[in-house]
Amino acid sequence: MSGIGAALLNSLDIGLLLFIIAVGLNIVFGVLNIINFAHGALYMLGAYLAFTLINLVGMPFWAALLLAPIGVAILAVIIDRVLLRFIYSRDVADSLLLTFAILLIINESIRTIWGSGIQVVQPPQLLSGSVQLLGSSVSTYSLFVIVIGLLLLAGLWYLFNRTRVGRIMRAAALDRDMAEALCINTRMVVTGVFAFGAWLAAVGGVVAAPMRALDPGMGDKIIIESFIVVVIGGLGSFPGALLGAIVLGLIHGFGGRYLPEVNLLLPFLGMALVLLFKPNGILGKGATA
Amino acid sequence: MKKPSIKKLLVAMTAATTLGTAGTSYAEDPIRIGGLYILSGSAATYGEFAQKGIDLAVKEINASGGILGRQVEMIYEDSQGKASVAIQAARKLVYSEGADALVGLDSSGVAQGMVPTMPELQKPLIITHAATPDVTGKLCNPFTYRISVNVAQNMKAAAKVAAETDATNWTTIGPDYAFGHQSWEFFGNYLKDIKPDVNLMSETNFPRFGAEDFTPFIDRVMNSGADGVLISVWGGDLVNFIRQANTRGFFEKDMELMFTVGAATEVLSALGEEMPEGVHLSTRYWYEAYNNDINDRFVKAYIDAYGNPPSYNAEGAYAAIYAYKQAMEAAGTTDGPAVAKALSGMSMEAPNGTVTFRKGDNQAMVSPNWGVSGPMHPEHGIRTLTNLQIFDGEEVARTIEETGCKL
Amino acid sequence: MKTKILMGLMAVVIAGLIAVPWIASYFYIFILTEILILGLFAASFNLIFGYTGMLSFGHAAFFGIGSYATALVLIHLEWPFLACLLVSMGASALLALVIGFLSVRLNEVYFAMLTLAFGMMVFAIAYQWRSVTNGSDGLAGFTLGSFGLGLDLTLGNPAVYYHVVLAIVAIAAVVLYLICRSSFGMILRAIRQNPERVSFAGLNVRTYRLVAFVIAGTFAGLAGGLIAPFLRVASPELLHWSMSAEPVLMAILGGTGYFLGPFVGSAVFVLLETWITSFTESWMLVLGIILAMMVIFFRKGLLGTALDWWLEVKK
Repeated sequence: MSGIGAALLNSLDIGLLLFIIAVGLNIVFGVLNIINFAHGALYMLGAYLAFTLINLVGMPFWAALLLAPIGVAILAVIIDRVLLRFIYSRDVADSLLLTFAILLIINESIRTIWGSGIQVVQPPQLLSGSVQLLGSSVSTYSLFVIVIGLLLLAGLWYLFNRTRVGRIMRAAALDRDMAEALCINTRMVVTGVFAFGAWLAAVGGVVAAPMRALDPGMGDKIIIESFIVVVIGGLGSFPGALLGAIVLGLIHGFGGRYLPEVNLLLPFLGMALVLLFKPNGILGKGATA
Repeated sequence: MKKPSIKKLLVAMTAATTLGTAGTSYAEDPIRIGGLYILSGSAATYGEFAQKGIDLAVKEINASGGILGRQVEMIYEDSQGKASVAIQAARKLVYSEGADALVGLDSSGVAQGMVPTMPELQKPLIITHAATPDVTGKLCNPFTYRISVNVAQNMKAAAKVAAETDATNWTTIGPDYAFGHQSWEFFGNYLKDIKPDVNLMSETNFPRFGAEDFTPFIDRVMNSGADGVLISVWGGDLVNFIRQANTRGFFEKDMELMFTVGAATEVLSALGEEMPEGVHLSTRYWYEAYNNDINDRFVKAYIDAYGNPPSYNAEGAYAAIYAYKQAMEAAGTTDGPAVAKALSGMSMEAPNGTVTFRKGDNQAMVSPNWGVSGPMHPEHGIRTLTNLQIFDGEEVARTIEETGCKL
Repeated sequence: MKTKILMGLMAVVIAGLIAVPWIASYFYIFILTEILILGLFAASFNLIFGYTGMLSFGHAAFFGIGSYATALVLIHLEWPFLACLLVSMGASALLALVIGFLSVRLNEVYFAMLTLAFGMMVFAIAYQWRSVTNGSDGLAGFTLGSFGLGLDLTLGNPAVYYHVVLAIVAIAAVVLYLICRSSFGMILRAIRQNPERVSFAGLNVRTYRLVAFVIAGTFAGLAGGLIAPFLRVASPELLHWSMSAEPVLMAILGGTGYFLGPFVGSAVFVLLETWITSFTESWMLVLGIILAMMVIFFRKGLLGTALDWWLEVKK
């Protein structure tokens, strides 16, 4: 039964990396009602900044994990203030289109700055080996991804349920006018939430960098996957992002091993089925349908 | 070589509207060669390699008097890796920019789409990278040539290498598109011919292109009982594959591993020491495989200009420009059909030895280079290739009947 | 007065389009053929987006099916071109009926995501069903035979093919225009503005959305049938979601509120791409900047903005 253990662990590490990325997408949608097409590009930017800090500046991985996401979050503040502020009051289609434009801009900028070659980031010494677990050899770094995914999960749960900032975010999500009436600066909330979503994408990028080769297409590869995650779990639902990520992780982890002929089709089939039978996602909030 | 051409466009537009023709060439004008490569998106690195090779050749040729006494000018267009874009771009190069000849094509899908349109354009095309057998097979035409190794040639060589090993149970891991499937089919057929008692496993592995996580497929192979694996994953996917295979202990298993595009320099330099020693690696051209003046000069010039050893498709693109020089000078003109005719059956000296475009299918008789990964190169920071094997070009080529080409 | 000027302008454009093969080089014939076909594709998309308010991210499924249908019929049956186009329209109508039946129940983002999922499923099937679709390489190497209706046309000649495309796109555009101007089109616009009110009026919103979706899919299939012989290939990239993004961009660029908007968008898109790629590889960067500006400041599109300006200035 070593096969199943390996498949499970593999599904978890794919799933939790996807969770880190997709949860940011979902929070932004939940609070701001924006589908951020550029989310994958921000993830890629996080990975490339980490590459620069680690391979070119010579910083340790941990410093990059701290700094790169902050850099991306700052860029997100600029994007929000310069571009997105125009379209918050419009319908979702506009935000899809504008963030698609931002995706094109970031993608091509990254290719211009870093080139289109394949880049590799080494995991920190501490995490570079592999261990025997559930009957198969698992890289320590995969376990680290699982751990950091769970840590972020706990942190987010705490933020939303136990802190004032989290409650403000939830209030703004439910009713922006009401929040404003309660003297909450919603403009700050909006910018803050968008930057926070970008920060999460970039954390995903830095975490992915040592296990995924960097090239300017990596953002496009992840964005559709992230859409699938949030749709399966439920748009706007924070626990939904976890569930969706695990489901997609399982689809990849087990589908690749046992149903390889349809591994291109399966994720989209899963996404369509959920939308057909439970349009709000397995754990979605009550959005209009 | 790219430069603002707003003026050029305006000139072309005026010419188009007033005269009804664009891109008329005069004797003193430079000879224009159109390059069609992937220049944007994730695979742009391949287009950039080709550009590097071409720019080197153009510089050398222009410094020594050009072609037919005329300077050579390159015009590049981005194929974006899409057949539809490439076909429009080729039409633009020929009808609007006045290109006399074309080089290019990275993606096999693009080549499949574009090659049938070449007779309409009446300009020769030398393919320098795309490896689908069909373009010098059932889709062949008098205007399409290929200077690089195709899948069939590489797999015939691979089968010869595989037959020398003790492995009897073969499977594959390849990208889930034509290239991966074709590689396995050709390899299996040739290997069966040489060594009928081998077993080609029915359990094959085709992860989707760009899959990022290959561990499910790595595990499947490790548990499959195979002792020989043909791996046609390439580029960034191959980098991911090898790093993940390392952590799974894939390379500690007693298996013969054959990487059909494993000795690509961009993959080797990204991986460094993470590329294991002792596996079979192939490339369509290995820069240390040939001892001749042209290769020495090419490799030295390339390293001087760009700081790292040339990749296989830089060599193909470099040689293609020299092929046009020779063909145009033999034809005494840049006229499309005449140059295409001169290319047919032509032999030339290239970095990888004497290259002949075979009459009958227009495929260059060239050999892939297979070797075994060895110690790190002291200067270039990549694995070296040991036990290098260069096959006779004719010997690894399909016969013309097999290609299905009727010229 | 103004209507007269506009009508005059239209007449000049149409006369110009017909005359193109006699006055312009081959290259511009190709460019215009592409503009017309993609314009029809974008206009079909705008029937559901601009008129009905449904943002589909899977419209390429119908375009791609249309191109595969024509390619397959040409390869295996060698029927006249007109028959191929009818097969293309039938195939995409059928696919649109299935996808539409399942999708139109959903709104906004959910609709966009579901059409994206279906579109990518069609892509995945075309990509992996190698025996029929030739997988990633797509279908190539087919040639056009006769046109049909007993007309003796050399379709291999780009100028002839251009005129055929021009005629078919013009007819299709007129049909689409009539649909938009009919009472059915009015109801679609009412649905975009306020679906509740339409359903209070006793009309089944879902049925109207489905019919619009099928019509849009059918015309996208026609455009696909026209593009396959033009490109000489039907390949999976015509089905990919990035192909679905193109009519969205074209419609926005030209103006979603105007019938001719998508055609203007297609023209601007193709010309810009042709022009910009001549001197930079960063076409996508330029496109991104233009798109951002259009969405933020010129939501009415180039055509809408130009018309507004003209009506404003020439009062």
